[in-house]
Amino acid sequence: MINATAPLLDVRDLTVTINRDGGLVTALDKVSFFVNPGEVLGIVGESGAGKSITGAAIIDLLVPPLKRTGGTITLAGERLDQLSPKAMRGVRGGRIGFVFQDPMTSLNPVITIGQQLCDTIQTHLKLSGSQTKKRALGWLDRVGLPNPDVQFKRFPHQLSGGMRQRVVIALALCADPVLVIADEPTTALDVSVQAHILELLRDLHRESNVSMMLITHDLGVIAKMADRVAVLYAGRVAEISPVGELFNAPKHPYTRGLIRATPMPSATGEMRLDQIPGAMPGLGAVPPGCAFNPRCFRAEGDCRATIPPLHHEESSAFSCFHPLERVTA
Amino acid sequence: MSASDFLILNHVSKVYRRNQSLIERLKKSESGGTKAVSDVSLTVRHGETMGLVGESGCGKSTLARLVSGLMAPTSGEISFPPNASGNKPRLQMIFQDPYSSLNGRWTIEDIIAEPIRVHKLRQGRAAIRARVDELLVQVGLSAADAEKYPQEFSGGQRQRICIARALAGEPEFLILDEPTSALDVSVQAQILNLLRDLQKNLHLTSLFITHNLSVVRIMADRIGVMYLGELVEEATSEELFRKPRHPYTRLLIDAAPDMDTSDRSLHPIAGELPNPAFPPAGCRFHTRCPFAQDICRNTVPPQKATEAGGMFRCHFDLDLSNATVFPAVKARTA
Repeated sequence: MINATAPLLDVRDLTVTINRDGGLVTALDKVSFFVNPGEVLGIVGESGAGKSITGAAIIDLLVPPLKRTGGTITLAGERLDQLSPKAMRGVRGGRIGFVFQDPMTSLNPVITIGQQLCDTIQTHLKLSGSQTKKRALGWLDRVGLPNPDVQFKRFPHQLSGGMRQRVVIALALCADPVLVIADEPTTALDVSVQAHILELLRDLHRESNVSMMLITHDLGVIAKMADRVAVLYAGRVAEISPVGELFNAPKHPYTRGLIRATPMPSATGEMRLDQIPGAMPGLGAVPPGCAFNPRCFRAEGDCRATIPPLHHEESSAFSCFHPLERVTA
Repeated sequence: MSASDFLILNHVSKVYRRNQSLIERLKKSESGGTKAVSDVSLTVRHGETMGLVGESGCGKSTLARLVSGLMAPTSGEISFPPNASGNKPRLQMIFQDPYSSLNGRWTIEDIIAEPIRVHKLRQGRAAIRARVDELLVQVGLSAADAEKYPQEFSGGQRQRICIARALAGEPEFLILDEPTSALDVSVQAQILNLLRDLQKNLHLTSLFITHNLSVVRIMADRIGVMYLGELVEEATSEELFRKPRHPYTRLLIDAAPDMDTSDRSLHPIAGELPNPAFPPAGCRFHTRCPFAQDICRNTVPPQKATEAGGMFRCHFDLDLSNATVFPAVKARTA
């Protein structure tokens, strides 16, 4: 049973490796985080940081040569990492919904969107034919597609990008999941459409109180949507903080670097842009010690020798030997 | 036309025609086609960075191709007034995707040396090689990288190579088509800072195209906002963000989420982008505009000049300096 304080999803020491030419390369290195019931956890990082791999590893959708080699994943008390592939199929799309980045390729092009919705609902909820259709039409309406009766019979290519992403969201939510993993849900969309989709996700989240993992590289999206944020760097967790704390008083130097590198107008309307030197190490090229040390202005001897452990404070956690002081201003 | 004008676009339009059937061709019927760029007039001055922003399908990349001469406009004219020496300025382009814009079978030296050889800017192998090394250092790489192949570099480094190749042609005019959209934030900041330094040091005139308003705000002196093939507003960067005159500009500025966690409201623009092949009659933005009235649906708005030297296309003189002036629109998409 879930009690009010236990996390809904608990990921501990999740490790994913790539088998490359016989050698093992670590893609995710002991990633730990949790998602509380009804919470939106943002996962942010640059490409190659392991955000999408984290999402895919939770629902066991890793494509070889990627392989989960360690760690535990617990959803509402049940160990997902020990489930059989068959049982996992019931979880995917059932208790965990997934929104993919690209609405062009995540729908089946030769099946009407109505049929795709009905298939998902029937598989997971075991409803009768007429109930299934009613529910599918209801979802098309809830995600904001005009004239659901007409849209029901249409194929994905007949819809615009924004509309397709709405259908993908309906597919993720139609079987009453307890957790939705949204992997870059608005990256392929224009700014004006992006705001619509974010608003829709937020409304649906409020209505159904489903927990959400929002994976994105866009700090603006994180600032508007997430309750807590996990920052990933080179396959490791750099920092996990409540969203306000993360933006106003980041602990990890990388978090602050990322925030300052994002072009955004300050309160006075002045633009500033601070770059982080260098680039994120590629797979298999992670330096010894803290992965961020070659780019970090606070790096000292211990950073180059030992991997900093995730240090927990009241509401946040970070892996840094020399964290930034929280200025109270 | 003043002496400082570098590039002048005079009522430029570009129509992409669909393939006509034989009968249509014999009848010589005018089958519409998509007007990707429609009646754009624009002047870029010497040493200035002109930014162009808009959503996908607004015609900004088409405009870049027209200016670079890769395509001819259907109507209107694009001219570079001859400079003091009487020559046409040299121009170079930097593309969005650094993965597909470098030839994987060429070494970095071959890639960067090509414009030097084509324009005969240096004579002799040694001189060319010296110039390549100099350019590599200038964009933050090392001379030793000249022997390598593009696939040995990361996205940010590849974009630096693209910049070095563009500079190798010693251009006076640079067209940048979404140069940082394929890059990560921390790398994007490096490339933007590099481009800013180069523009300042080399006195380049450039056309900077992007969909990201924050990026264009950092990079451009003046900004043009495009919507469905039309230039709807043009102003200096400062003026555009302080006091936008076109409702679309205001909505576009508000639509991008900022990093303020205390105000978590989102500001979507009502409706969806209409099909560019069938733009709405009258003002093209009227289907999504919170201020639209009957006149907007019937009459094409005139171009109005602002006292600050800008331009906008709207029937009304609206005060849009604050984000919160909007009448509530039911954001139901059509």
